[in-house]
Amino acid sequence: MRLNYYQIKKNILRARKLVIKATSIAGSGHPGGSFSMAEILGCLFYKYLKFDPNNPQWEDRDRLVLSKGHAAPGLFSNMAVAGYFPESELETLRKFGSRLQGHPDLKCPGVEFCGGSLGTGLSYSVGVALAAKIDSKDYHIYTIIGDGESNEGQIWEAAMTAAKYKIDNLTAFLDRNFIQQDSYTEKIMPLDEKLEGDDLSEMWKDASRWKTGDKWRSFGWNVIEIDGHRIEQIDAAIAKANATKGIPTMIISRTIKGKSVEHMEDNPQWHGKAPDSDVVPIINHELDSQFMIAPSIIAGDMTNLANEIKRCVSGRADYIHLDVMDGQFVPNKTFDHTKIKELRHLTIIPFDSHLMINDPVKHVRDYIDAGSDIITVHAEVTDEFSFGEIHDLLKQNQVGIGFAINPNTELPEWSYKFLPSLDQLIVMSVVPGKSGQKFIEETHAKITRLNSILKEHNFSGYIEADGGINLENIGSVFADGARVFVGGNAIVGQQNVRTAIRDFRNEILKSRRSILLDKAYELGRTDLVNKWIGLHIVGEKQEQIKKIAQESGYI
Amino acid sequence: MNEPIMTDMRSEYSKTLIQVGKENPNVVVLGADTTDSLKTSSFGKEFPDRFFNVGIAEANLVTVSAGLAASGKISFASTYAIFLPGRAVDQIRNNIAYPSPQGKQGLNVKLVVSHGGLSVGPDGGSHQQLEDIAIMRVIPNFRVFIPADTISVSKLTHLMANEYGPFYMRMARSKTSIVHSESQDFQIGKGIILRDGSDCTITACGITVRMALEAAESLQQEGISCRVLDMFSIKPIDNEILEKAARDTGCIVTTEEHNIFGGMGSAVAESVSESYPVPIKRIGVQDMFGESARDEEVPLLFEKHGITSFNMVKQVKEIRNKKL
Repeated sequence: MRLNYYQIKKNILRARKLVIKATSIAGSGHPGGSFSMAEILGCLFYKYLKFDPNNPQWEDRDRLVLSKGHAAPGLFSNMAVAGYFPESELETLRKFGSRLQGHPDLKCPGVEFCGGSLGTGLSYSVGVALAAKIDSKDYHIYTIIGDGESNEGQIWEAAMTAAKYKIDNLTAFLDRNFIQQDSYTEKIMPLDEKLEGDDLSEMWKDASRWKTGDKWRSFGWNVIEIDGHRIEQIDAAIAKANATKGIPTMIISRTIKGKSVEHMEDNPQWHGKAPDSDVVPIINHELDSQFMIAPSIIAGDMTNLANEIKRCVSGRADYIHLDVMDGQFVPNKTFDHTKIKELRHLTIIPFDSHLMINDPVKHVRDYIDAGSDIITVHAEVTDEFSFGEIHDLLKQNQVGIGFAINPNTELPEWSYKFLPSLDQLIVMSVVPGKSGQKFIEETHAKITRLNSILKEHNFSGYIEADGGINLENIGSVFADGARVFVGGNAIVGQQNVRTAIRDFRNEILKSRRSILLDKAYELGRTDLVNKWIGLHIVGEKQEQIKKIAQESGYI
Repeated sequence: MNEPIMTDMRSEYSKTLIQVGKENPNVVVLGADTTDSLKTSSFGKEFPDRFFNVGIAEANLVTVSAGLAASGKISFASTYAIFLPGRAVDQIRNNIAYPSPQGKQGLNVKLVVSHGGLSVGPDGGSHQQLEDIAIMRVIPNFRVFIPADTISVSKLTHLMANEYGPFYMRMARSKTSIVHSESQDFQIGKGIILRDGSDCTITACGITVRMALEAAESLQQEGISCRVLDMFSIKPIDNEILEKAARDTGCIVTTEEHNIFGGMGSAVAESVSESYPVPIKRIGVQDMFGESARDEEVPLLFEKHGITSFNMVKQVKEIRNKKL
């Protein structure tokens, strides 16, 4: 499978929901470690791994070895999404007679390794890699180990062996989530340095204190260090690893245990605990409410866009929003594909190219070639046929498919049939053409209206809100259903992009917490509200959420 | 009895490995810094791409062997007995025995060790593996062999290469005397009658087979007819041959250089107690550890633990009085 960024993300979401469902029904299991490696597995399953679900023993398949076997629900969920077995089979997890054992098992065709007795998967992978070399096979071995697991001496035995035999058909990931069963890794057995006190954030804020990479480098490995939840970073790291010859690669992936569910994140309690069934709908709602920030660089210095990109990168933007204006579809002119191509090498953050141009069908190829990750074209300048052509071209090239409507445009009926495969719908909240306009209030009602149409036609992409988004209105636009937020003046126009983006995220978070409280109250009144709040034990979350609940009159 | 012809098991194992390596390109050999001692390094000279020395890392040795086997190779992993079952039992269980590809049981790994039992001698009690049979016997999917001589070693090495699945084979450090003929057939789960008799049975394995034959010889001179079985296949054990021995001879003495708990003697007792219970005496190490003995002193060490043909004679005489 070679899917685009957005489809990978969608599959990761599907897999995460299955993990929640399966562990909740089973009443036990390890959701925390399944979620910390969710993006890694997503990139592997839906972009890199060669496999055939109908022929799991295919000799030339790539091998995925999950050494940290307790994260089996994560593996099984992705196998279901990838087509090895029906998603409903996840309901048998850990049950008598099931192929889906508590830990990965060859009983389930497609599973490569009986993992779970920790520390052994890397040695096993070395054996598989050596066999491939003997047979001159070019399949690749991908192995995931845990950081707690790295306490095991055998990990380092395998590390030396892989270096000795120059095993370059093996790429390993360290799921560095900083938590093992008893507590934080740096308290139990530090890989970096001993943690004093309980504030985990102290540890990972300061990269100069990280020593794990040095350990692997000194063992003779090619080391790549990434944020293990950013798909583009995982993607780039795998590509680099696969191109590295004569030496094994370790991709140290800084991750968050329980990632995507606030009460599980960085919480040692969620190493091996299943969610209660009454909380599951709230968790699913939260999983559906992930959000992305896409700064628009035209709000900055147009004479130095390279610098604007750099500011967005250091500000940790999710996407870079590129407003292409041709002076015809809109009065202004910004830049075209040549500029995008020029900027592309500056970052691997996805390029969200928004074509505000006439006749996009004539130009879309150029924007694919320039390196866009998603390309959005306007309803006003396409019809069923030209959009169909654009749609197919983007799909063939694994580029995300976007569609945009202006404030005065309703979603055309001809577009309904494309909705299931659409990755993004931009609902303009200003008349496009220039930066710095005020948000049109009617947009709230419009998104609400759109939601029912989108639901009816199985839209599973993201709504991107574009135009006049700021700290005052972002929470309400999120509540409407938007998930990607373009920030012009409010982000790129600010002196400190990083704090501007952080403030955006915090506002959305507040809105999301409030929505989830509504959900909890709707499902189980004050009892469930209190129970859900009580799950948030890390940091100051609990107090913050309690305040929102009080304001809403739920407690 | 004739003067024994003494031959070296490790050399025979190494020679046979090269033969099976020539016959089957999927055979790979792994070692853990004992490959000169085990003589497997000669396989490495013959087939450098199919030989891996993983260093002093036995857990790694076991699991790397499993990974190779999972990818179609036939892995022979070898080191000293004390460092395999005694050290890497988790890897043996979870990486070799437990993983069962569709329609198969366990992975295709052969753990072949040297230096089993007391006969290790000078290295001392810490290095005398007296618990390996107990450990290996209880792990599902594993077959367990203790060859008595180099003819057994050669035949069993061929057998393991051709038979899918996990095996454990324990060889002795010292040279052993030939007890089998070149034409002897070896089958999984089939004991071998080396000498027939009607008054008592001695079951033996490894170097104690020769002792048992000597004991039977001297018993013969006293008019006692003693059957001797080579129970080289400890798992699966030959229930049939044991039941017949129990019925025909009415009592059994077992003898091995292993703890009497969980070893071959235990396996025999378990089998006979379910088929045709008769009195059984287990000769072996009485739940204790060994100790250093220079090569020429090793007989003294065996004497201390009663693992001698002299004691076998004594035990046969005693147990005959307990017949039911």
